[in-house]
Amino acid sequence: MDKATSNPVSTVSNRAKRSPFYYVGKVLIYATLIGGALIFIFPFFWMISSSLMTLGETLTRQLVPKVPQWVNYMDAWNQAKFSKYFMNSVLVTLGTLAGLLITSILAGYAFGRIDFKGKNIIFGLFLATMMIPESVTLIPNYLMISGKILPLPGQSWLNTYWALTVPFIANAFSIFLLRQFFAQVPNELWDAARIDGADHLRFLIQVVLPISKAPIMTVLLFGFTGSWNAFQWPLLATTKDTWRPIMVGLWSFVQEAGPQTHLLMAGAVISLVPILVIYFLTQKQFTQGIATTGLKG
Amino acid sequence: MTEASLSSQPIKTGTTLSKLKTREQVTGYLFVLPAFVIILVFGLFPIGYSFYMSLFNWRVTKGAFIGDANYMLIFGSWTNFLITVAGIALIIASFWLWNDAFKSVSQRQQIAKILAAIVFIVGGVIFVTGWGQMFETGNQSFLKSLIITLYYALGTVPAEVILGMILAFMLYQDIIGKDVFRMIYFLPYVTPSVTSAVVFQIIFSLRETSIANVVLGWFGISPQKWRFEPRPLLNLLGLNLSGFLAGPSLALVTIMLYGIWSFVGYNSVIFLAGLGNIPKETYEAAEIDGATKVQMFRHITMPLLSPTTFYLTLIGFIGTFKAFNHIFVLWTPSARDTVVTASVLIFDNFYKANQYGVATAQAIVLFMVILGLTLAQNKLMGERVFYG
Repeated sequence: MDKATSNPVSTVSNRAKRSPFYYVGKVLIYATLIGGALIFIFPFFWMISSSLMTLGETLTRQLVPKVPQWVNYMDAWNQAKFSKYFMNSVLVTLGTLAGLLITSILAGYAFGRIDFKGKNIIFGLFLATMMIPESVTLIPNYLMISGKILPLPGQSWLNTYWALTVPFIANAFSIFLLRQFFAQVPNELWDAARIDGADHLRFLIQVVLPISKAPIMTVLLFGFTGSWNAFQWPLLATTKDTWRPIMVGLWSFVQEAGPQTHLLMAGAVISLVPILVIYFLTQKQFTQGIATTGLKG
Repeated sequence: MTEASLSSQPIKTGTTLSKLKTREQVTGYLFVLPAFVIILVFGLFPIGYSFYMSLFNWRVTKGAFIGDANYMLIFGSWTNFLITVAGIALIIASFWLWNDAFKSVSQRQQIAKILAAIVFIVGGVIFVTGWGQMFETGNQSFLKSLIITLYYALGTVPAEVILGMILAFMLYQDIIGKDVFRMIYFLPYVTPSVTSAVVFQIIFSLRETSIANVVLGWFGISPQKWRFEPRPLLNLLGLNLSGFLAGPSLALVTIMLYGIWSFVGYNSVIFLAGLGNIPKETYEAAEIDGATKVQMFRHITMPLLSPTTFYLTLIGFIGTFKAFNHIFVLWTPSARDTVVTASVLIFDNFYKANQYGVATAQAIVLFMVILGLTLAQNKLMGERVFYG
């Protein structure tokens, strides 16, 4: 993937005599790539462009607005309550990530580096949850947070912060990812740390974590997108807009507000901005993280 | 490992060693505990509870115990169910026989092939009979939702895998700006489904001025109703098929396009990583032997990528059978039930119709279907995968 090792195919063809086919092939590849890229990026262009139009302009389907209506963003942010939804999502995402980090680092370490009875059975149970469709767990979970199965502090968690965070502060995927990495930390490091009198917790914090930035970053990125993009569960768990996160807010705006395309698109852009910022900043880690998870499977 | 290094330290006596071991155990449990509690309560317990609920006449609150009645609503009767399963089992067995045929010597090969064909036909007939009876006496809307889920899977997963592979192969060449291309193609995957669905709603709206209809206009095709169109695409094209052969509605095809747009980038990133793992010596050796590029792609790249292809197909199928957001957000009442996949139907039965017992039974059946599909794919495709 790196520059140094890249492109076996082209290294080979560089040495071969470049036939006319080579150039025809190149042109074809560029044409396909550019054409495809235009199709792929068009919805984003359209979203941004429409978000700056007047309502009239969105109906006549111009490609770009005559005068960019920046006021649309103000309207969406204030009147359409996207500010509230946005802040809800920020808080829910931060809470989920904090919990997720703690649970998956601890469990990943235990599964990767500590021997205890029943370890493989528990790990197997965890992994099994990755195959279960949400349709199966959704209904009991809904009853649970409504306080109908277990007694919960405060009767019902509907429309609370807890309903949106607590079920997601641990998942098998993150634990699996970290376990794979932690298990590869050389045993010599652990032996040395133990001679210095460190226990597992200190070893984990002082030695393992500093060298595990890449997998932790992957867990954070997956956790972030998962939490920010969450839709089905928050749709059930929020009936009022007290804790309604941005995706449910956007969806109910479609249902309730009627054809206010310009504001809708402004809301869509607002909902996309955090994801875009994170994605552009961490592009390398993001794609690499996804690639490694793919190959492990 | 740890035990070996422990015993290598001479000072330890038996008692302190076992003490240390106990401490190790306790630390292990304590570390796993927080994750265990959450996954147990919100991931494992609900599976059992779902099954429990499916045995009751459970609307908003728990009603009478009705045993398998919710399941019988789906299948009609156990006989129907068993006939259908037997048919599927025979079909799988025939594939297995067919595969086996190529491993054995010439004489048996012919017999095994003929046998496989017979078993396949018999299995097919039994399956169709069982399914037909289920469809008559069981829950048509759920059974239909399974077919729609299958359409959705067959219409998206192969396209995503093939396009992803081609894209990865192109991006792997000596290309200027490959990082930019990769970023653009990957962008839809990270975009929240509600956000992109909102845009697709407008691009594929039924207005004559919608982008999709304008593009059709360039080719002289009259405007379509896209995600509002419950009629099958093939019928719109003039082929008058009916039943399963009529294929997905234009509304579902629209959602498929959306699904493909969302996931191609993901597949190509995984394929790119797979391509990076193929040693370049292989290509050099092939070139010395005078292989053309097409031959190299066919005989080196494709076999060496087969584990990746297998993985992507597998998670693709599991993903489409679980899919909810992508379909739910583009669903309009005008498309009727032609886009209602199993998970959307289950959600509807629960959320709108308050049929908790029925919905949980359907969810359990969906889970079984996914499980069966995964096992079958492992069996059938897994054997053909070439692990370098």
